[in-house]
Formats: sequence, structure tokens, C-alpha cells
Amino acid sequence: MAAVYKSLSKTTGKRDLEDGEKASGPRRNKQRVLILSSRGVTYRHRHLLNDLYSLLPHSRKDAKLDTKTKLYQLNELAELYNCNNVFFFEARKGKDLYLWMSKAPNGPTVKMHLQNLHTMEELHFTGNCLKGSRPILSFDASFESQPHLRVIKELLSHIFGVPKGARKTKPFVDHVMGFTIADGKIWIRCYQINETEPGKQKPLPEANGAPKTEAEAEEKPKKTGKNTDTNITLVEIGPRFVLTPIVILESSFGGPVIYENKEFVSPNQIRADLRRGKAGKYNARAEQGVDRKVKRGDLGLNTHGGRKAERDALDEKMLFA
Amino acid sequence: MEANGDASRLSGWRPTLGAGGDGLVPESFRKVAPEFRMVERRPTRLHISTNNSFTTQKMTKSKSLKLKKSLDRLQGVDYKLERQKKLQKQAEKRKRGKQAATTGAAEEDVLDGEEEVEAVGSNGVVQEGEEDETVDGAEWETDDEEDAEAGMDLSRLDDSDSDSSDEDDDDDEGEAELTAAARAGEVSDAEDDEDIPLSDIEDLSDSEKGDILPHQRLTINNAAALTRALKSIAVSTTAAPFSDHQALLTPAPIRIPDIDDDLSRELAFYAQCLDAATRARALLKAEHAPFTRPTDYFAEMVKSDEHMDKIKKKMIDEAAGKRAAADVRRQRDLKKFGKQVQVAKLQERDKAKRDMLEKVNILKRKRQGADTNQTTEEDLFDVALEDAAATEKADKAARRTSGSRGGRGGERGCRPSFSDRGGRGGGRGGRGGGGGAGRGGCEGGDGASFKRQKRDDKHGFGGKKRFGKSNDAASSADASGYSVRKMKGGKRGAPRPGKSRRTARA
Repeated sequence: MAAVYKSLSKTTGKRDLEDGEKASGPRRNKQRVLILSSRGVTYRHRHLLNDLYSLLPHSRKDAKLDTKTKLYQLNELAELYNCNNVFFFEARKGKDLYLWMSKAPNGPTVKMHLQNLHTMEELHFTGNCLKGSRPILSFDASFESQPHLRVIKELLSHIFGVPKGARKTKPFVDHVMGFTIADGKIWIRCYQINETEPGKQKPLPEANGAPKTEAEAEEKPKKTGKNTDTNITLVEIGPRFVLTPIVILESSFGGPVIYENKEFVSPNQIRADLRRGKAGKYNARAEQGVDRKVKRGDLGLNTHGGRKAERDALDEKMLFA
Repeated sequence: MEANGDASRLSGWRPTLGAGGDGLVPESFRKVAPEFRMVERRPTRLHISTNNSFTTQKMTKSKSLKLKKSLDRLQGVDYKLERQKKLQKQAEKRKRGKQAATTGAAEEDVLDGEEEVEAVGSNGVVQEGEEDETVDGAEWETDDEEDAEAGMDLSRLDDSDSDSSDEDDDDDEGEAELTAAARAGEVSDAEDDEDIPLSDIEDLSDSEKGDILPHQRLTINNAAALTRALKSIAVSTTAAPFSDHQALLTPAPIRIPDIDDDLSRELAFYAQCLDAATRARALLKAEHAPFTRPTDYFAEMVKSDEHMDKIKKKMIDEAAGKRAAADVRRQRDLKKFGKQVQVAKLQERDKAKRDMLEKVNILKRKRQGADTNQTTEEDLFDVALEDAAATEKADKAARRTSGSRGGRGGERGCRPSFSDRGGRGGGRGGRGGGGGAGRGGCEGGDGASFKRQKRDDKHGFGGKKRFGKSNDAASSADASGYSVRKMKGGKRGAPRPGKSRRTARA
């Protein structure tokens, strides 16, 4: 009872305090991501999932989903875990990975094909960042050019952008995530922000010109006093991957298709084409063989089948019979 | 890394199709297409029933329009779809005509359009469902053409199209968009002749495929629905402080000229993120939000310590490997160069030895009485030998003058020096060197003396040639090369230690 009272009084008190702010300011951005995979993922897919999970403190990882057809079950699952975003890895044939991003109850769903996957572990990058620090999201300006890209951008920013008050977040900013559109695909990179004192790097070039150093040394503290800026360099953390949008559905894991990428060719088709291309070579050769046989038969050169050679009066057999 | 890069390259549709992507389907057509998909999602069997509707239409041409409309409503004819198909068919026919005209030029085109052929190769398969659709469409369009012959019907079709559109359409956007789409369809007629269903391409021969851009699936891009979806999920970023969302947009779209060039591509990504980081820092500083992590703030990191250790170890290994490789290369170079140095040194040593021997020989001969008038010991060894007689004389003179300063110095100054003339000539020859030098070296005729010397060597002048190598009394008496120790095998230093001690030392 006391607990109930406490919670009630707290909420009322808070509401009183924040009333003015809430009326004017926007609603608090509250995002939680359910992150899980289907059955049949390879270890690399799993490692990527773990990497992303470690980068997203507002995410909830769940066991592999058993079904690949009834994806609408994910909505219930998201509701169960109190998540409003679903980030689902669907593996097919033990090699192709599809990525679903959805706003859980009734928002749009984007299905993408994931390629060029490199996990943190195999990349051996020296960058590192705090677990739970909030990233800066850098989007390519082309994301604003088309409606479907804007939808994708919004989804990406909900899923990869860690909301401010999220659990387990750290107050500092030490990494950037870059989303770039190139070649009709979305390229994703993650860098650590490395701040170095400008004084530490300067001495190297100064060593050459001795007389200059004094003037610069005088200038430097002034500069830092103004901006208090350190040099920023980036060190890549990983993982790396590329997404090709395939389809956007209107509701969550269902509903009509509102966008379909015509440039996307499924990897199955590519493999099939390759195989067919190889088979075509054999078929052509086999056909040639048959043709040759028929041709020989027509000329009467075969002992069996085909046309018999005509007997000529000047044939040796006729002359010396 | 490499394997995956291959995989992306293996999916060869990327460069070719990507480039042709926008040219494939004209913008207006793209707008039309979604309607076609969205509205008409009935099973393909329905088309057959609509065929019937057309025949009945022909029969009841004279009857009122109203009746027809109701009939249509009953049978669910979709005029949008019909129209779409018809347009497509017309475009196709036009294209065929054009191709027939240009088959002569097709062979040249093949060369140019090789890329497109590749695109056809990689896309050449139609998914089953689509194939069904297109086949059905083809059936249907033959009927449509009959209608076109009838003429009257066509115009009526168009009329009823706009009428029935609002009834058919259950989309919220409704009429305005649909009619707009229809208009767009009319406008894009001219552009549409580039657009051919894939099923028809497979009938064409390879040479004809050259300049055709296939479209595989009809594009769905329902902009209205997309913006609606966006609006439903959007979190406004304009009003909120930057520290709430921390999302930035680049000022200009990133252009990457060659996507396969790893270095420039990654550089573009890096530049994008670096720019974002600097801008974000300024924004966060302006909002007084924390940015930099204090140095004494420790917390769990994304990569664990073991992982970082692994990375460090790998880097160290790599550096060590590099250093080792460089070392090996340097050694190899040294070895190559060292051999040359060694050879040169050996030659030099041999030469020095030979010269020395010659000088000694000359000296010996001189001592024996062979007169080498020009070559003196002083010249050979670059030392001034003291002439006993001259010294005595000089001493006497010095004593006589009772002044010790001028004598010897003056004497030496007067003495003629031959070091710059005959000395070298004498040093060159073999056995007859002394004689040759004596003759040729008088007036410094260096070339002549050499020639003479060689001839003397050859034809015999200056001593006999026979038994040159055989021993004589002097050489047999010479015991300089003889060593008792070598002969008797005396002890050399410490004896060899035992096996156990040797292994222990090693």
C-alpha cells in the first residue's frame, strides 16, 4: 500500500513539475528494440547480432524464433517484452541474411538484404567505446531525397539511436555511426571518436622550423581558450555491413507492400543464373555433337542409320566387280 | 574480408543494373505501377472472366452506357488494369517495329550494349508468379487489340475509366491521385516504349537483346503511403534538443565515384563521420551536454579486454612479421653485395701479393748482380736508404764547415730522385723485368718498354726459361715453408672435450 502511495505521489509530483515543460516540449523519445534471429543463422550472423546488441543498450535480446513464415508472431513477442521496435535477422539457406526492421504494433516494416558482413571480432580494429554510450548518428543527405529512404532513415534512427534516458546508458559520447547510401545500398560503419590534445600533435611539424615555434606557442593557448577544442580523429570499431532495401510493408510484419525495390535481385537467382550459365555451356556442346552426327548421317558416312550412300557407276566396286 | 568482397562482386547485378536503374522505368510509369498492384491483387483467373465481358460489350454496343457500367461493376472489370496492359502492349509493338528497322544495325549495337546483355543474363529469370501474370496479360491484350479495331469502344473505355475509378478504388487518396496517375500514364506513352516485359525478351534472339533494358518487376513505390507511415512513426527532431536524438544529416549527399575502390569509399565514410563528430561536439557543447569522457572514468567497454588483447597481439605479430621480412630481405641483399665485396677484396689481396713478390724478386736479382740501373730500392719501397759513402762524405764536410745544419739536407736535395720515372716500369715485368726496365725506362718510353718486355718474355732475353720451376740449390735449401709442428702433428691448443661436455656446452 505504501508503495502504491509512493508511486502515485511521485507521479503526481513529477507531473506538477514537468507540466509546463511537457506542454511545450516534445514527447520523450522512448524506444526499445527487440533483437533476435531466426533459426539457421551461421556463427557470423550470430556474432553480428551480438555486436549490435552490445552497441544498443536499449535493446532486448531474445531466443531464436522458430518460425520463418509466421513473422507476425514477432508483434506479440515485442509486446511481451515491452518493445516498440523489432530488429529481426532472418537467415535463409544457411548463407543469406535478411534483416527486418519494424515498428512493432502497427508501424511500417522494412526488409533488407544484408551483405558484406564483417563482425567486430574478425575485423581487428583498434577502436573501442563505452558499452552503453550513446552514438552520434550520421546520415547521408540522400536519405531525405525519397520517401522510402526517409522511412528507412526514421527506422534506423529509432533502432540505432539510443534514447536519452535509456537504461544502462553512459553520459558521454564516444562513437559515431555512419549510414551512407551508395550504389542503392546502405553502408553502415561505426567509429570511435578519439580526442587528442592539439599541443601533443603539434610538436612534430614544429621541430622543422625552430623560429616559428614561439609564435605558434603563443597562439595556441589562446585558440584553446576560445574553443577548448581538441583534435578529433576516428578509429573504426566495427562491425561493417551493407543493407539493400527490398520491401516496405505498411504494418508490422504484414499489410500491403508500399515499396518494392526493383533493382534487388535475390541471391538465389544469382546463384541459379550462374549455375545455368555453366550448364548452358555443356548443353551447347552436347547439341553440337548431335548435329554433327546427323550431318554425317545425311552424307551417308555412317554405317548404321542415316542415309545410304548412292551407288555411282564410276565407283570402284562397280568398275571392278 | 576478401571472401565477402568477392561475394558482393559475384552478385554482378550491382554495377550494371544499378546504373541502368533509373533509366529503366520512366518516372511517370513508376507512379502508375503501384496503383496497378495495389488495387488489382486478384487471382489471375479473373482475367478470363473479363474477357467475356469484352465480348458481351461488343454485342451490346448499341445499348446504353449505363447498362454497361452496371455490368462492369457486376463483373468487376478493372479499367485501370486494362489500360495499363494496353499501354504496355502498344509500347511493345512500337518497340518491335523499331527493332525490325534496326536489326541491320543490331550487330554494332551488340558491342555497345554488352553491359546490357550482361544485365539480361543476370536478370533473365522471371519469378513464377510474375510470369503467370504476364502470360495472362498477353492473352488479354489480344482481345484488347480487337477492341482497338472496333474503335468506338476504346473511347468509351476511357470515359468510363474516370467514372468507375472511385468505385474501384478503396484507397484513401482516391480519385485525385488516380486520375493524376492516369494522366501521367497518357503523358508517359512516349517514354513507355522503352519498357518491355521480360517474358517477351526471352523470345528474342541474342543479337536483338543488345539494346533492351529489361524490367523485372513492376515497381511499387507508393509515396503517399510511405509518407503516411513516416508521419505515424516520426519523432520530431527539429524541436527537440540535439542531445535527445544525436542524429545528423550531411550537408550534401555523399558521392562515391567508384564503389569498388575500397580506399576512396572508406575515406568517404570516414570523412562523413568525422564531419558529423565535429558538428555534434559543437552542438553538444552549446547545449552543455557532456561529451568527452574524463580520463578517470572507467566502465565496461564494448570490446572486452581479452578481445583488445587479441587485437594487440595480432598487431604485434604483424609488426614482428614485417620486421622479420625486412630483415630477411636486407640479409639477402647484403649477401648478394657481400659476395662482390669479397671477390674484390680477394683480387686486391692477390694483386698486392703479386706486386710484393715482384719487388722481392727484383731485389734478389739486384743483389745477385743483375744490373738494374734505374730501379733502386728507394723507389721500390718508397724509403730513402742511407748511402754509407755519401753519408760519410757529408759528415766530413759538415765537420769541416763545423756547422751541422746544411750538410745532409743539401746532399739529399742534390741527389737525383727516380721515384717518378723508372720505378713503375720495373715493377711490371716478370723475370726479364729488370732488363726491360733498364732499356725502356731510360727515357720514360713506357709503352715501348712494355712491348719490349713482353717480347723479351716470349723470345728469351734476360735469362734462361728452362727449368724455371724446377728446384735449384737455393730453393731446395729454403726451409721457410717447413714446419715441424705441421709435419709431426703436434698439439693444437686444448684437446677436444668429451661428448658429454660438448653437448653440455652447446
